[in-house]
Amino acid sequence: MEIVTKESGEVSVMELRGRLDLASGATLKEEIKNLFEKERTSIHLNLSRVEFINSSGLGALVSIMKEVRLRKGRLTLSDLASYVQEIFDITQLSHIFEIFNTEEEAVNSYQTVQAG
Amino acid sequence: MIERFTYPSTLEAERELVQVLTERLEAAGVDDTTTRRFLLIVSEVFTNAVIHGNKSDANRKIEVRFAINEERITADIIDQGHGGLERIQRRPQADSMSEGGRGIDIVCHCASNVEFAEAEHGGLIVSVSLDISEKMKEICE
Repeated sequence: MEIVTKESGEVSVMELRGRLDLASGATLKEEIKNLFEKERTSIHLNLSRVEFINSSGLGALVSIMKEVRLRKGRLTLSDLASYVQEIFDITQLSHIFEIFNTEEEAVNSYQTVQAG
Repeated sequence: MIERFTYPSTLEAERELVQVLTERLEAAGVDDTTTRRFLLIVSEVFTNAVIHGNKSDANRKIEVRFAINEERITADIIDQGHGGLERIQRRPQADSMSEGGRGIDIVCHCASNVEFAEAEHGGLIVSVSLDISEKMKEICE
């Protein structure tokens, strides 16, 4: 899996490309750990280019969310393809994650929270 | 016709299997939705076989029997572990914050039929099928 990271103000935006499974999930966790070391804990994951995700990939996302929460940060997701959304729905993780339709909406929501 | 594949218990083998099956399903003209669903089912079962069945011991093999016809796609995935059937029957339910334990639930939700049986050598046989016509009907609706 390829991970493209950019900064949007306080938010670190990561676009995931390819398969999200056990091996690539471990890679993603390492990338997030690097962000934590820079004290960046507002993290958005754009899943528009995730071609395949299985329960191991979901497990990695849950693990990341727990780590973000431990650090009083925030994790958002966006741009889930219908087949990815379906897997979130099956596993009831749709209710656990903050999921936005678009990256822009997600990033704007951080500003709204800060302003509020 | 049933095709038989044998893989080592590695995650690289899971990717290889998914690639091979993708080619088979594309060649058979199976639609994208059904293909994605079947690959997810197989990925989950194979990953379970690697990690829980064969304990990631690359010397232990996983056999996959694959078949496709106009009505359904089927696969039997057989590991060389022990006590797999009991493990399936006693598996704990994943809570919302669990990092694992969702694979079998995904399989049971996505597949048209799932059966678990014990192999002669004690390994676990997971037989899955996906009804093509049923899924195609959903798409047309």
